[in-house]
Amino acid sequence: MSQWSFLALFLTLFVLTAYKGTDEIAYPVRVFLHFDPLILITTFLSSHAVPTALLLSLITVAFTLVFGRVFCGWVCPLGTLNDFMGRLCPKERRKEPLGERVRRLKYYILIVILVSSLFTLQIAGVADPISLLIRSLAVAAEPAINLMAYTVFDLLYRAHIPVVTTGSETIYAFLKQSILAFRQPFFYQGVFIGLIFAAVLLANLYRRRFWCAGLCPLGALLGLITQISPLKRLVGKGCTSCNLCVQECRIGAAADLKGEWKKAECVLCGECQEDCPRDAVRFGFLPAKASKAAGVDLQRRGVIASLCAGIFIPPLIRTDPLTKRRQGRLIRPPGALPEDEFLRRCVRCGECMKVCLTNGLQPALLEAGLEGIWTPRFDFHMGYCQYYCTLCGQVCPTGALRKLSQEEKARTKIGLAYIDKNRCIPYAQGGECIVCEEHCPTPDKAIKFEWAEVMTPEGRKRIRRPVIDLKLCIGCGICEYKCPLHDQPAIICTRLGESRADELLPF
Amino acid sequence: MSKLTRREVLKLLLAGAVLTPWPWRAVCSAATQFPPDVVISRGTSPALITEAAVLALGGMGRFVSRGDVVLVKPNIAWDRTPEQAATTNPELVATLVRLCLEAGAKEVKVFDNPCEDPRRSYVSSGIMAAAKKAGANVSYMEERKFRRMEIKGEDLKTWEVYQEAMEVDKIINCPILKHHSLARVTMGMKNLMGLVGGDRGRIHWKLDQAIVDLAAFFKPTLVVLDAIRILTANGPQGGSLKYVKRLNTVAAGIDQVAIDAMGARLFGLQPKEMDHLRIASQRGLGRMDLTKLRIKEVKADS
Repeated sequence: MSQWSFLALFLTLFVLTAYKGTDEIAYPVRVFLHFDPLILITTFLSSHAVPTALLLSLITVAFTLVFGRVFCGWVCPLGTLNDFMGRLCPKERRKEPLGERVRRLKYYILIVILVSSLFTLQIAGVADPISLLIRSLAVAAEPAINLMAYTVFDLLYRAHIPVVTTGSETIYAFLKQSILAFRQPFFYQGVFIGLIFAAVLLANLYRRRFWCAGLCPLGALLGLITQISPLKRLVGKGCTSCNLCVQECRIGAAADLKGEWKKAECVLCGECQEDCPRDAVRFGFLPAKASKAAGVDLQRRGVIASLCAGIFIPPLIRTDPLTKRRQGRLIRPPGALPEDEFLRRCVRCGECMKVCLTNGLQPALLEAGLEGIWTPRFDFHMGYCQYYCTLCGQVCPTGALRKLSQEEKARTKIGLAYIDKNRCIPYAQGGECIVCEEHCPTPDKAIKFEWAEVMTPEGRKRIRRPVIDLKLCIGCGICEYKCPLHDQPAIICTRLGESRADELLPF
Repeated sequence: MSKLTRREVLKLLLAGAVLTPWPWRAVCSAATQFPPDVVISRGTSPALITEAAVLALGGMGRFVSRGDVVLVKPNIAWDRTPEQAATTNPELVATLVRLCLEAGAKEVKVFDNPCEDPRRSYVSSGIMAAAKKAGANVSYMEERKFRRMEIKGEDLKTWEVYQEAMEVDKIINCPILKHHSLARVTMGMKNLMGLVGGDRGRIHWKLDQAIVDLAAFFKPTLVVLDAIRILTANGPQGGSLKYVKRLNTVAAGIDQVAIDAMGARLFGLQPKEMDHLRIASQRGLGRMDLTKLRIKEVKADS
């Protein structure tokens, strides 16, 4: 079934969105976001710019205009996962379709997102199904699956059971080559993002496709578009009102001869047509004897409330002190647009974090204010920015991170390092170390060393001490990551001097 | 019958000895062919000079027996290209792999524990592609294969050691000669740090002792030092071609201290200026006095 092939394609691209031995990633999973019209509209409204690739989503719009929410029923990988989980929905709950009040929620969510983006607040990514799925897989599911796999295979490897271990090692080698992450990823908020994802999937136990019918803003957008589609659902005379189609509809859109087909809800799975014992259901364009279709029924009160929310959320969120002055440790990936512009584009899909070679890119929680939730930031405790790597800019779907050439990347400052002389071994203890100097990747060495004569408990001695050349430092954070004082590194990078801010600097 | 005098007997014996068809050439060359301590091989082709160096030591058959599992341990520490001279020359590595296999090795493994992302370092250095092509089994080192082991050194008592490196029959260490900010020059003994895990940053607090501890622990069978391109400053990582110098030289031998002493000289330093060489020779790990070593120079031109 093609629904599964789209899921397979999505998962394949997801796995391929990683370093595979070449500087360029050929097929990043972002292409699914490029077909997402919600991302197109909100990016356009918030940043007044349209990355060309996003125009692909007009194809989705065109298909929806003709065939209805086929994207939801056939293409959307989250929809497919919801269908899969929906199989676990108990029989008695299947018969009762989701109530209208809940269904309206998705339109209100859509209105909040659209109005906010009009006021330059880009929060679509938080609830956009494709963003949500990529982020959940990258930050929560994949790390958990990896840890599980590594734990099991390591256990078998250590146990060294004759035939079993040989077998498990063969499987392990194959999985390492194909789907397992090169190195176990660790992400802040994996649990938080994972729980949200789990809630979305488990909601199918309450009503099948609860997310798609009740909450999904992309579903709402496509649902609105279907209203001008000529597509009809025809129920023929043969209908005996057996109610089979109504009960079996995965999203509660089907209706018998008397009822109203919920056109904006229908995901065009075609099951009602297939299952009808009398072959009375047909989809088509000719108005032979169309069953009545229900329009989108929004309540004025809800619309006004969500409009107001959309208007007031941006200023409210931006009264955060972090809007006035950004946190010093908020270091963005190289290629990030200036902070305001960056926030207007980032859709928090988490692809940059997935491809980051060193696991240094982490989702922010409140480090960039509530507005910046789940946007990428460097955490140099976890990893650093690899000198020649340009992957994050290659996978960004909206251009929040620009694609940089290696030469450009090598020139891009994401921050600057400074030494904490109260902790640094050569300064504080008079001992040898300079691990930071050794790892500094800039060809002319942003970290140099000076000879100094120091008094130590063992007497006078000459040692090398690191000093930083701020002109050469790009703030990549490898010094901080590699500093042997892991508890609290003696060399630290802050956002000062980042190229994109274009500030006046003291050197 | 006249009696032979003692003098006549001696004369006859001497004449006989001289006239007997001894394989004189063989005897003379055997004395000179006794393998040198250090071979210096020069020429423009990395592959040819590597092969010539090993040949001058008596050929790979002297070091690798049929059925051996051999670890060829290059320096793949950084995400740098061969031109940047921060990692071992890939042709040198490939040649050693080929020579091992020709000598009958069952398997030749190549791995290192890089300081940066292993995937990028393996690719950028060109070593993964070259060694694989030569028939080696190139693998990334895995966390699960490290075990804390007794090093019994002066500084390192126990440390995380890569098991696979302990399970091979022979280790051929093939470092690159380059500047190192803390150790002054990094060569063979320092290169063995790529076979351990743990918090290697902390090894730097007493680096010279630790280097000797690890060299004494691993005891490679053969050391082939890559001085084809050397990094003269900003090591060990380099990056700028300004500091890369072409020496077109390979030094090889079984005494790891002697090879590193030779490396120091090629770099322009006196071996005794290097702390870890001094410590190693004091501990009897090898000899660093180049004046007392048999050094053979060979040229290999393509």
